[in-house]
Amino acid sequence: MTGGLIIAFSASGAKAAKEGPVIIMDQAEGLVIADPTKCVGCRRCELACTEFNDGKASPTIARIKISRNLNFGVNGIPTGQRGGGAWGNGLVIQDICNQCPHPVPCANACPNDAIVVRPPTNARVVDSKRCSGCKMCRRACPWEMMSFDSGTNKATKCFLCDGSPKCVEACPSGALTYAAWRDLTGKIPPRVAPTAIVAPEKAQTCNECHKK
Amino acid sequence: MERQEEVRANILNIIRDRSESGRLISAEEILTELKRRGLLTSEEIKPKTHLETALKQALQENRDVKEILAPNGVCYYYSVRRLSETYAGILVLKSENPLWLIAEVVRENSKRYPRPVPVAGFMESPFDLTLEAILECLRVMGEDKEYQDIAQTITSVGKTFLYSSRHLDPDYASMLAEWLDVGQADNP
Amino acid sequence: MAKHGGWAGKVLRVDLSTGKISTEDTLEKYRDYLGGTGIGYKVIWDEVQAGVKSFDPANKIVYGVGPLAGTGAPCNGRTAITTLWPTCWPKALVASGHMGGQFAAELKYAGYDAIIIEGRADRPVWLSVWDEKVEIKDARQLWGQGIRRTTIEINQQMGPEASVAAIGQAGENLAPMSVVMNSYSHSAGGVGGVMGSKNLKAIGVRGTGSVRIAGNKEEWEKLIKLHLSLLGANNQHVVPSNPQPWAEHYNAGSRWMASAGRRWGAANPSIDTGACEPHNLNRIAYRTNNAAYFLGDKAWQHTVRGNGCTACPIRCHTMLKVPAVSAKYGIPELGQNTCVGLLFGRAFFKSFPDGPKGQTAIEACMVGMYLADDLGVWDNYGQLQRDFQALYYNGIFKRKVAEKEFNSYSWNKYEQGDPTFLFELLPRIANKEGELATALGLGTGHLLERWGIPEQEWLENHDLLYWKLGHPKHHSNEDAGQCGVIINTQYNRDAQCHSHSNFTRNGLPIEVQKRLAAELWGSPDAVDAVAAFTPMNAHKAKMAKWSLLRKELHDCLSLCNWMGPWVASPLKEREYRGDDSIESLLYSLATGDKKSRQELDTIAERIFLLHRALTIRDMGAKDMRTKHDTIPDWVFTDPKDKAAFSKGTIRMDKEDIKLAMDMFYEEMAWDKETGSPTKATYRRLGLGTVADELAKRGLLP
Ligand code: SF4
Ligand code: SF4
Ligand code: SF4
Repeated sequence: MTGGLIIAFSASGAKAAKEGPVIIMDQAEGLVIADPTKCVGCRRCELACTEFNDGKASPTIARIKISRNLNFGVNGIPTGQRGGGAWGNGLVIQDICNQCPHPVPCANACPNDAIVVRPPTNARVVDSKRCSGCKMCRRACPWEMMSFDSGTNKATKCFLCDGSPKCVEACPSGALTYAAWRDLTGKIPPRVAPTAIVAPEKAQTCNECHKK
Repeated sequence: MERQEEVRANILNIIRDRSESGRLISAEEILTELKRRGLLTSEEIKPKTHLETALKQALQENRDVKEILAPNGVCYYYSVRRLSETYAGILVLKSENPLWLIAEVVRENSKRYPRPVPVAGFMESPFDLTLEAILECLRVMGEDKEYQDIAQTITSVGKTFLYSSRHLDPDYASMLAEWLDVGQADNP
Repeated sequence: MAKHGGWAGKVLRVDLSTGKISTEDTLEKYRDYLGGTGIGYKVIWDEVQAGVKSFDPANKIVYGVGPLAGTGAPCNGRTAITTLWPTCWPKALVASGHMGGQFAAELKYAGYDAIIIEGRADRPVWLSVWDEKVEIKDARQLWGQGIRRTTIEINQQMGPEASVAAIGQAGENLAPMSVVMNSYSHSAGGVGGVMGSKNLKAIGVRGTGSVRIAGNKEEWEKLIKLHLSLLGANNQHVVPSNPQPWAEHYNAGSRWMASAGRRWGAANPSIDTGACEPHNLNRIAYRTNNAAYFLGDKAWQHTVRGNGCTACPIRCHTMLKVPAVSAKYGIPELGQNTCVGLLFGRAFFKSFPDGPKGQTAIEACMVGMYLADDLGVWDNYGQLQRDFQALYYNGIFKRKVAEKEFNSYSWNKYEQGDPTFLFELLPRIANKEGELATALGLGTGHLLERWGIPEQEWLENHDLLYWKLGHPKHHSNEDAGQCGVIINTQYNRDAQCHSHSNFTRNGLPIEVQKRLAAELWGSPDAVDAVAAFTPMNAHKAKMAKWSLLRKELHDCLSLCNWMGPWVASPLKEREYRGDDSIESLLYSLATGDKKSRQELDTIAERIFLLHRALTIRDMGAKDMRTKHDTIPDWVFTDPKDKAAFSKGTIRMDKEDIKLAMDMFYEEMAWDKETGSPTKATYRRLGLGTVADELAKRGLLP
């Protein structure tokens, strides 16, 4: 941690509101990493993520994303054999949350400081008590890893199952591994260009800290 | 006393680890490994007897640990948690003469399931025999009184299966071979 | 959200004649029928009159899934499609086709347990189901296109996640031998032409909702893990195909193909399937390689990976990469399918230059999959190819088809096993070009009638495996003696029941099978070793009843009967027992409607009985024993003329089979003489009104 002003925060995080915006500085401890050559496209990871955590089967809110790449790969619908997925080269790319290092795009975009760090994994998690359902975080994540649960009207994201990822346990081909965190943000090509804006209050914090 | 406990625990480990890798272990090898681990070293009066007692006890106390006597008189040890009795049986036969190996596997299958066994299966793990070796075995078997029950049947797509006439008659064996090789795949 | 978990809660009804789109409450209307074929039979019984033909606008198609579809219960990816079956000869009767893929789950996420299609659109249309937004869309642009093109264009409109079930040219042209297909390789036979007759090119489904699990989520997680622990490889084969350190048993005929040294050779880099010790749930997907199983060892080097339905860890569809085919045949180097789909192209040929499991055979499979799965041609469980070989080699084609047409086929290529022959044949079947192809596209029964060949010839031929009503046997006496025979008498197409064959082929020694059989069906004598059959007994009838009810139950819950039931397992510590209650455990926790195994079996029996009633009503006959539950003559013969019950034959004995049918009818509490269910039986199972209706028509025994 650097600078007194900046606070890495745990889920309870009540005092952040008083002391200024939550800016996540802590690195995550773990990360789910995925091997596309082993993925058989069964979507059991998506289902484990939502059934065992939310009590419903719901790929839309799954915090690991298979369905969208399953048929045609990451780039949508190709014609011919150039794309990925079952209709292309056969590879299914599993989209996972990078548990981004500071500055954490989804967290920084949240006007309610609802995306916080939670021990023991230091995963970036949505504090649903604070989440207002505005979906700003979805505009911020370059990898489209923020999900929105229309049932609860809250955003949700990978919280590493607090250290024992259900998706990893569920994978029938061992394509997923829970590993020590490393920075993948520069390695995995973004799916979209983020369009979120950082709230002025947060921007100010950034500027204060990064003042020359 | 404590030392004995330690030795026993190590013996168990050694056996189970070896089984994990799909192999058997002899008393001799266990002793070498124990020594490598600094156990049962020279100051023990009779490491061999010591080991024997410890092994016996390990067998009694742990239902997963088994002993198997190879035709060459050597005893091997393994844990059924990781290595099945069937597999252990194949491994000891394998350490012996391939004739015996093939015959016993064929007889066991003919009797137990019942089913004939494809010759090509003996080229694969864990048998790992070459086709030449297998054919040579079959030739020798043909001439040896002891193996007169080992017979062949060829399926409609030309795959050879072996069976023991002690347990299967020729029509039954050829029907089952055809079923395994062609029938099941043609009737998916 | 529905009060219950599991079900989506709504059934979608689309009238293509009027354009009317409506929904019904699943539980209010179909609760007693669970889902899947249950809803299908109910709709046909209530709404489709006897005498309606397959391609009439009055026929309906019900795409039904059940409460487990879309959940994490293993093997829940199948959609049951019920309609009046166009290849059922001489008269269309009710039957169902089953497709895997992503369609079932997507339908649930969109909020529906079933789609009922009725009427006929006045021009080609496709149906777009996007959550609650349902639209009938113009398909004139898509008409004439193959399944792949159609799918891609619909995905362009609905997004890559949408599941598209489309027909090809075969269905459009009303060839009865046609499929509907989703997710690249998952087809349901027989249905394509019925969709074509309604001018319905495709259904695209996109669902963003969820399926609620009613029970406690920790309990659900535990149950799922229990179920996973009981799984074998495809067809619930519970022993590996060669000896492995962890395994007590092995069986060269097992679909559990994984082994050290057998590699997914076309993965980059390649992947060793290795030991798949049953307790390691993270290796289940490597156990099965159906390409290697069906096409031989050469297929390993071409294997990219396994593929399959939503939530199924088995992956029975194998994805193959065969680079040579793109230059040689101008087709994509990747292809995928399972069993009969994989074999589609190969099965036409009698032989290949490099043998039945050589490279050419694999190429024939690649060409076959490429063509058939795009044109949407169905093969009626291999009957198309068996018929083809017989008709050609017996000179029937030559006799029945005009010389010019006959000579337009390159028969020399065919005889040499040249896969390019398929480019001549399959498009013509789909497009109904010429007499030969048109007749093949009709299905066996109608083809024989058209060409004046007595069905008797087919019934007597041991190699053709033809059973009745235009369809072949599907796991009959070869798998389970009398039990298999009984099962094959019951349906109006090939039986598609695997409850019995998954058990008898599981690979365990006969004494273990007998021990399990005693627990399940009351006596070890319920099962015999293959081709060592013994005379009929009551326990075999029990097994037959159980097999049929479980098949129907699976088709209603959306569990795959190509995998279930799970009464044997690979677990030595369970003495290879599975769990006969797994279906009811899953059902109870998912829906919150607690039902025991017996209660659920009773519902399955009701549904199966409704299928029987529909068959009786539409045949207009109550003497099912002689008019419907017939057995082909070849069952009572043996190529070597071995006597029934001698070792090495699957030959059955006529008197014994009579007894078998008696015992089965008795077990079902049906009338023994006619094989028709009695009024009391209909009543007991809650089908009193069905009995009344049949009584009015004089169709009760
Ligand atoms: S949701 Fe996106 S932005 Fe947020 S931590 Fe994950 S990958 Fe990074
Ligand atoms: S780690 Fe947990 S929350 Fe994250 S994707 Fe996997 S199952 Fe979902
Ligand atoms: S569970 Fe594993 S194999 Fe299945 S989709 Fe997820 S990553 Fe792929």
